[in-house]
Amino acid sequence: MTDSAFFNFAEAQARARRRTVVLVALFVALAAAIAAAVGALAGLLLGGAGEHTAAGPGGQTRMQPSGEALLTQFDTGTAVMAGLAVLSIILVTAAVRGLMLGGDGANVARSMGGTEITRDSSNATHRRLYNVVEEMAIAANLPVPKVFVIKHEQGINAFAAGNSPENAAIGMTHGALASLNRRELKGVVAHEFAHIANGDMRLNLRLMAMIFGLVALTVAGRMAMRSVLITGGGRRDQRAVLVAMAIGIALLILGALGVLAGRMLQAAVSRRREYLADATAVEFTRNPEGLASALKKIGALQQAERMNNAHGEEVRHMLFAEAVARRSPGLLATHPPLMDRIRALEPQFDPETDRVWRMPQKEMIRESRAELG
Amino acid sequence: MEVIIALLVIVIAIVLPGVLLYNRLVRKRNAFKNAFAQIDVQLKRRHDLIPNLVETVQGYMQHERETLTAVIEARNNAEQIRQQSQNAPGDPDSMAKLGQAEGSLGGVLGRLFALSEAYPDLKANENFQSLQEELTSTENRVAYARQAYNDAAMRYNNAVEVVPSNIIAGMFNFTRAAMLEFEDRESLQEPPQVSFS
Repeated sequence: MTDSAFFNFAEAQARARRRTVVLVALFVALAAAIAAAVGALAGLLLGGAGEHTAAGPGGQTRMQPSGEALLTQFDTGTAVMAGLAVLSIILVTAAVRGLMLGGDGANVARSMGGTEITRDSSNATHRRLYNVVEEMAIAANLPVPKVFVIKHEQGINAFAAGNSPENAAIGMTHGALASLNRRELKGVVAHEFAHIANGDMRLNLRLMAMIFGLVALTVAGRMAMRSVLITGGGRRDQRAVLVAMAIGIALLILGALGVLAGRMLQAAVSRRREYLADATAVEFTRNPEGLASALKKIGALQQAERMNNAHGEEVRHMLFAEAVARRSPGLLATHPPLMDRIRALEPQFDPETDRVWRMPQKEMIRESRAELG
Repeated sequence: MEVIIALLVIVIAIVLPGVLLYNRLVRKRNAFKNAFAQIDVQLKRRHDLIPNLVETVQGYMQHERETLTAVIEARNNAEQIRQQSQNAPGDPDSMAKLGQAEGSLGGVLGRLFALSEAYPDLKANENFQSLQEELTSTENRVAYARQAYNDAAMRYNNAVEVVPSNIIAGMFNFTRAAMLEFEDRESLQEPPQVSFS
């Protein structure tokens, strides 16, 4: 029996962890498939080359039976070694990256240009933010995270970082603080708390580390090709050059395909987690109106900015800015369309007549400031 | 010999589940009591802020003596009831009284803030602004802590009422916990809306 009226933090964490295990398994399977493909190729090509070079300098060790087709000389040992090498490149890079990225949310927030604020801030908007965070900590039944403000950023954006509730940090742009009223701020902060409670940052970090492992593979492929091109040429055996080129190209292509698959997987997961975070935020605040209104203001700013330049990408991603592609195409978008998120919170939403959806930022700032007296 | 073993089995079959159910009831009771302690902390904070507010406002709102007196009276009354109810979480009588006292305090505070709209000097006062922010935040904290308390109380009540734990509850005098509702609570959660148009 679950206690439906109350957000069950432990259960959500357990669910998130199970999902992570499935993802890690998927990723290892993907890496293994790539490694097997490269290994097979290496066995096929180097099998012939191995005999060839072995016969080359010594000359007298073994005589090659003439007339044997090259491709029948599949070298299992080389195939296994090459496969293992590829697998270890992917997994070790991913693991190292995962360890590097993990940990303190405050560090992530600082690296994004955040300035920490505390309870004793003399700035009225900062104090309002800190108060809202403390309020939501009570509602979410979580420890109070560190709070950061990204100054000089006029867009409405926020993020949560850190891989556990104990070292979590919440960051908010200056634009969000200035343009949102208290109710909306509460919705946005609740959304970020939901990411913390649902274990989304940890999940996202894992996915990013995995993708990085595949990126490393393409780098290895490029390095293999380059070394061949530099040292190769006429001096070395033509065949060895071709073999190394083929393996390099295979690494490059398979790695790139893997990265694409990984990005799509990450984006799909992220979109689902955004809906979940919106729903959890409403569970915390018991009021969908504030979050919906904040999303509308983001939409309003996007419409205004689209006229000036192409800056209108989906905001409010939960972690690294670099993880969000500009003008992301459907399959790679980390967030569901803004309209869909608003409609999920407010089914009767109509962009034609909605007041907030068409509000200029000046008006938002005036409204937000009026509330502070 | 067999008789003894049979008796032992019967005793274990009855006592063991009983102990488990009893422990579950105790845990749920502790959970809602702890949740109530969180409300108490926030209510204390709220009550502590009000004398400062009245002090700050006094100089500006000479003509609103009545309202100020009403605020102070409501605050003192609520503080007294808070102290009484501190050790009686879930008691229906205490919860009703507390809900009423906090509700009427919220009502007069709302009136005070509505009146303050007519005093631009007061509204520009930094001290007033920060007190208003702190009070708004405290109202929200109270609201969320109350949410948590009511959820915990509901879970405890469910355990008290469902079969079979209701048997244990009846034997060991686990009584239902009362929810805490504030009258007029909607108006407390947000600062007054201001319109310039």
